[in-house]
Amino acid sequence: MEKRIRVALAGNANVGKSVIFNQLTGLHQHIGNWPGKTVEKAEGELHFKGYTIEIIDLPGIYSLSTFSLEELISREYIINERPDVVINVVDASVLERNLFFTLQLMELEIPLIIALNQVDVAERKGIKIDYRRLEEILGVPTVPTIAIRGKGIHELLFKVIEGFEKGFRKPAPIKYGSEIETRIKMLEEALRGAGLSYPLRWAAIKILEGDEEVIKEVRRVRPEALTLAEKMAKEIEEIHGHPCPTVITSERYEVAGKIAREVQRILPTIKLPLSDKIDYLTTHKVYGYIIMAITILVTFYAVFGLGNFLSEVLTNVLYGYETIFVGILGSGLLRDLIWGGVIEGVIATITIALPYIVPFYLILYALEDSGYLARIAFLMDAFMHKIGLHGKAFIPLILGYGCNVPACLGCRIMETERERLIAGFLSTLIPCAARSVVILGLVGKYLGVEWALYLYVVDLAIVFIFGRIAFKVLPGEAMALIMEMPDYKTPHLKTVIKQTLFRLEEFLKIAFPVIVISGLIIKAMDLLNVLYIVSKIMSPVTVVWLGLPEILGVLLILGVLRKELTLILLATLLGSQNLHEHLTPLQMLTFSLIVMLYVPCVATIATCIKEFGWKKAMLIAVIEVFFAILLGGLFYRALMALEIFR
Amino acid sequence: MEIPLTELKEGETGVITRIEIGFGRGWRWGRGIRKRLADMGLTPGTKVTIIRSAPLNGPIEAHVRGYKLAIGRDIAERIFVEVQR
Repeated sequence: MEKRIRVALAGNANVGKSVIFNQLTGLHQHIGNWPGKTVEKAEGELHFKGYTIEIIDLPGIYSLSTFSLEELISREYIINERPDVVINVVDASVLERNLFFTLQLMELEIPLIIALNQVDVAERKGIKIDYRRLEEILGVPTVPTIAIRGKGIHELLFKVIEGFEKGFRKPAPIKYGSEIETRIKMLEEALRGAGLSYPLRWAAIKILEGDEEVIKEVRRVRPEALTLAEKMAKEIEEIHGHPCPTVITSERYEVAGKIAREVQRILPTIKLPLSDKIDYLTTHKVYGYIIMAITILVTFYAVFGLGNFLSEVLTNVLYGYETIFVGILGSGLLRDLIWGGVIEGVIATITIALPYIVPFYLILYALEDSGYLARIAFLMDAFMHKIGLHGKAFIPLILGYGCNVPACLGCRIMETERERLIAGFLSTLIPCAARSVVILGLVGKYLGVEWALYLYVVDLAIVFIFGRIAFKVLPGEAMALIMEMPDYKTPHLKTVIKQTLFRLEEFLKIAFPVIVISGLIIKAMDLLNVLYIVSKIMSPVTVVWLGLPEILGVLLILGVLRKELTLILLATLLGSQNLHEHLTPLQMLTFSLIVMLYVPCVATIATCIKEFGWKKAMLIAVIEVFFAILLGGLFYRALMALEIFR
Repeated sequence: MEIPLTELKEGETGVITRIEIGFGRGWRWGRGIRKRLADMGLTPGTKVTIIRSAPLNGPIEAHVRGYKLAIGRDIAERIFVEVQR
């Protein structure tokens, strides 16, 4: 029989965990989502010494509490799936905080191996660690590694096999102060035989810490233990003068600190590390913002410059097949339906989404991996607070000006689901490049650039107001920025590329079906002349409320596919390139405003579905259509009343 | 003297005395944020050194337990420290 070992990688964020994962698994990996969650799940396998080793890379977290989805998922995986061994990746240069997490893993009473990573970085910072001593104190096999150079990876695998063959020693959990220890023991007794899926001691500690998930389970099987725990938590609070959860966390850190001090030697470093110099410049109140502006401009230029180029090339290549296609299917109804509905949609995805998504992800991951994203969040936090978000949300929002799809995907860098949703919603209100084509090509061209600019200002105001409303309406805790500022480092190229490719694959899986189906429906409506009937039905809204020509209703429907289509088809429908002969300035402004707001394109809706689920994606779409029409009408009337264009 | 973390100057160190999050004037944040702060190493008795604060009432960056942590100003105002001079 095949011998299999199941290994989970766990550790803090920014410790090089995904680099170790990539070094271990190479190409044999798969990145997806945890079932029903927007949290990344990376799995892979390798063959070593006759074993098949399955590896799962758990999200980077700082604790095993229930603060974030990532923490909950990680701990549920370890408890329920019981991997054969957990490799805890520890950043040698921040030993104390990393050991705080290690101690929690030990409390889960699972076989453990420590990968003491970035020992080179630690040494540069003047920190030398006696890993044998660490191994001795914790009772956990420890391997020093430098993951980006592949050092220690083999040794890690040897330890896994050795432990598996000889049997892993269960690590001994740490001891708290006696006043806490005695209460833990009593709670353990109270929980004994209750049939919990957790280790007894861990469950006892967790209910003292007020852990909601564990409390929920205990309430079902042993409610009287909770009453006891509440009483004890109060007693502990009285002894220490701080809430019980804080006391326990505090003691855990105390132990982590003591161990760290015992195993590490700190040598004085002579020169300021380069990382600190860059840090100083990139967070400076003047240079910081200048560097940020340059970075964003360069990113924009790279994403859209490269994107436009690739998009054009791909468009030419793909449309080149049209004649071949016509040759096969003839030029009847079937051709129109399949080419116009399905293939055009597919081409739209390939030529719009792909050329922008790939460079975007490459840059985003490289910036994140280098540590720079944290600095942008730091600089922009005060500003973002005004719309109810914190600094990290700035990046997806600014990227929305290019394309809403990567913007929406970028919202994953937020911690909680609520923050992700608000940021995602707001990013769909940012006029993307396609919408800018309409704004500039219509308003900018015929009314002057200043009018186009006004529209952008109006849009910012709307984003601001919607941000405040969403923040008030959606339940949850107030937002707070509590973020590690990792040391700068060179991004690991292979890891960045792999993450990009897997993201791309994931996007295509969701986006293609949605785009193809909606394209088919709209095309069928078009061919059956239903679109004109629909635009007749819509005429009370388009003509009476918005003051637009009836025919524009058709455009608003087609615009769902691609926003720039509205402008391209406008000329076709009106039968003239001189749009100002057919539309009044007021109509141009109203139309552009609606195009800017009314609903994200199909690709963005597909992305929202993937990130937030059907219900929320539909809600976002409906809200936006409703408000675009409402605001469009009000805007039209206001300008009319002000008699700006006569 | 007990002062909020935000009143420490750059380069100054304080020892955390209490964290008013989840009650009192910090009622807007729940126990989750309090736990998060503790998990990141901000517990009573911890030494915190201010590295810098972001412009326009932005967050502060501090040295905690051997690493650098950014804390939003609104949260940092509710963390009280005893100044060490």
